[in-house]
Amino acid sequence: MVEQRFSRILRSTWIAAGILTIVLPMMWIVIASLKSPADLTDATKIAFTPTGENWANALASGLPAALLRSLIVGVVVVAVSLVVGVPGAYALARYGVGGTPLGFVLLMAQVLPPAVLVFPFLRLSHLLKTNGTIAALIPAHISFVLPVVVWLLIGFFASVPVSIEEQARIDGKSRLGAFWSVVIPHVRPGIGAACVFGFSLSWNDMFYSLILVPGSAQTLPLTIAGFNTFRGIELGTMSAAILLASIPMLIATFFIQKHLVQGLGGNGVKY
Amino acid sequence: MTSDKKFGVLMITPLVVVLIAAVGYPVATSLNLSVTDFTLTSKNVQNIGMENYAAAFSDTPFWEALWTTTAYTVLAVSIELILGIAIAAALVKQKRWVNITRSVLISPMFIAPIAVGLMFRFLLNGQSGAISKTLAALGIDHDFFGSGNVLYTLVGMDVWQWTPFMVLLMLAGMLSMPTAPLEAARVDGAGALYRLRRVLLPMLRPTITVALVLRALDAMRVFEYVFATTKGGPGTESVTVQYFIYQRGIQFFDLGYASALAFIVLAIVAVIVLVFARRVVRQHG
Repeated sequence: MVEQRFSRILRSTWIAAGILTIVLPMMWIVIASLKSPADLTDATKIAFTPTGENWANALASGLPAALLRSLIVGVVVVAVSLVVGVPGAYALARYGVGGTPLGFVLLMAQVLPPAVLVFPFLRLSHLLKTNGTIAALIPAHISFVLPVVVWLLIGFFASVPVSIEEQARIDGKSRLGAFWSVVIPHVRPGIGAACVFGFSLSWNDMFYSLILVPGSAQTLPLTIAGFNTFRGIELGTMSAAILLASIPMLIATFFIQKHLVQGLGGNGVKY
Repeated sequence: MTSDKKFGVLMITPLVVVLIAAVGYPVATSLNLSVTDFTLTSKNVQNIGMENYAAAFSDTPFWEALWTTTAYTVLAVSIELILGIAIAAALVKQKRWVNITRSVLISPMFIAPIAVGLMFRFLLNGQSGAISKTLAALGIDHDFFGSGNVLYTLVGMDVWQWTPFMVLLMLAGMLSMPTAPLEAARVDGAGALYRLRRVLLPMLRPTITVALVLRALDAMRVFEYVFATTKGGPGTESVTVQYFIYQRGIQFFDLGYASALAFIVLAIVAVIVLVFARRVVRQHG
């Protein structure tokens, strides 16, 4: 009993230490975003009068437009990934079509160095005259979002018992009908989790954005990097910008966390 | 062909087509670029065979960048794996506030790496950073971005952001495996260390292998932290492969050569994946 209580305290302390390591730096950014330029020169100053100036500056800068562009790219990329990825992942999980070779291709696609792909996408954007616009970014983001989304979805589909689908077939549904009205509702939370995860990859990417759309149509990460100077005013605005970009993702994490743990625990992790 | 199979093929065709267009095409183009002297501004592009590759082999800064990246990856991923298993093992037994704790503990992996890089540049900055100032008040004078320290600082950022990925995969692995063997070992009076080494780790091995491959290959792409903090400095001490290729390709417009460099990295990556994939296959028998 004593040993159990001791190990429980040890465990809680350990978890608390992890949480503090994560939350403290974030809290510091929140504090910095509320400090006036004068207060920002003293990083460890806790007592100060909060100001909304940095947030106002961030919202008045190019940030909201960049946010919108990132949103558009992310939504289009995730939509394409779902339209082709959901049936594809189902076929792989349920019928084993494509088998190990396709599984290997999906794994390799996830680990391709972006430097291999980015220059062809740059040339493609010059050929299609999409260079400098967010349209150039969409195929590039699909190249790394789609494999991850499919990989996650395979795990979710594999966890659906075949029997419920067979029952629907006996009840007179076609294969497509059974897939649509029985299997899909079962994996809906998983699809949601894969969506959010894929969206975060697109939302957070800077490398492709830096090379393909470095100009006036830049996306969020590059705009945040633009605040990277060491003048006091910019530091506060940068902090507000970092928070504006991160908060939506952090909220989403809360809702998909459970489904990610489940999906990855299925067959998703094992090839 | 059975009608099941026909249906499956029908369902998978769009995926295969998009994969060929979005991944196959650029890989093929890149391979083609790598044997030319293509630059963004060049008018006549010539096929120069293996010249780019030959040049890469005597390109000392490239190999130095590769070495820096390897050291960074090995260090970061080892720390993340150990911390990830330790945190996941604690989370498995936790009973209260499960969702909020897990959400917070995996949250850093959803923040843009450039934001993480800028955040730490800000916190660790020598003159005004909150962490350096606090350390200085405690009498510790540490130059996080100085020569000899910078690689460890970058590793620290990677650990902060990506240990959550290990936690997520290890937690998923632990929750999906049968609890009976661990219970049996406990009933038999096996100590905690024995249960960890002889029961938990062997059962987690497939998950660990996949997690290591994915994380290691992702760590090798490190770019944003360098871009946000050191731009490769001091000197070229923190130039990573991805940063080096970016410089060659974009700042010097040398796309043919940069593509050749990227393929050398890809060859190394493929070897790592094949070695690990074979081990996984062998384990599953």
